[in-house]
Amino acid sequence: MALRAAVLRHIRLPVQTLTAAGSRPQPQWSFLRLFSSHDDHLTKEEVIDRVLDVVKSFPKVDPSKVAPDVHFQKDLGLDSLDNVEIVMALEEEFKLEIPDKEADKIDSCNLAIEYIYNHPMAG
Amino acid sequence: MIGATTSAYLARRAAQQERVRILYRRALKDTLNWAVHRHLFYRDASDLREKFEANKHVEDLDTINKIIAAGEATYNKWRHPDPYIVPWAPGGSKFTRNPVPPSGIEIVYDYGKEDND
Repeated sequence: MALRAAVLRHIRLPVQTLTAAGSRPQPQWSFLRLFSSHDDHLTKEEVIDRVLDVVKSFPKVDPSKVAPDVHFQKDLGLDSLDNVEIVMALEEEFKLEIPDKEADKIDSCNLAIEYIYNHPMAG
Repeated sequence: MIGATTSAYLARRAAQQERVRILYRRALKDTLNWAVHRHLFYRDASDLREKFEANKHVEDLDTINKIIAAGEATYNKWRHPDPYIVPWAPGGSKFTRNPVPPSGIEIVYDYGKEDND
């Protein structure tokens, strides 16, 4: 114990003050894995980006028309079966299990983003 | 046709469309369960889509009902015995694994400091 105290007394580490009292800037901490599952809910921008990526990579969709408020059948000219396929692709992307009745109602990017953002288990 | 666009007809068509969508969704998930590798899945998924597209332009309500019933029978016949379900969903492996402890219970951390009478 005494050796440990002696060694510790000889080691000096620079003291780092936190930049701002209340804010945790997300981009600076992105290289640091926080293993607590407490605040790992997705941010809205992340949800929007990933949803738009999924919709853009759908083969029947024109990527330049995709916007966060686009309606699948009216604006993108898709079929109802294509709607089902897009919802399945979103389920696979975010590792969700959407009940059949709910999945039937997801008709546009808006609804999809809202649903995924409000889902507690969205990955 | 007399009853071409009456509200009852449209309501029945809408109900049928919803049944078709739910059936397509389940059949697609089932296809993914059977054909785990993506290249096989894409082939099977496009075959499934062809089958649905072939019956797209039927107008008669009773024929549509029969086709949907036949589709659901085929789906029930081909259901996978061990489908992939997301772990936290009912039927998955993590479902109710760690339930939330009832409120009002707390752990008192006084190891070594209890007074055992």
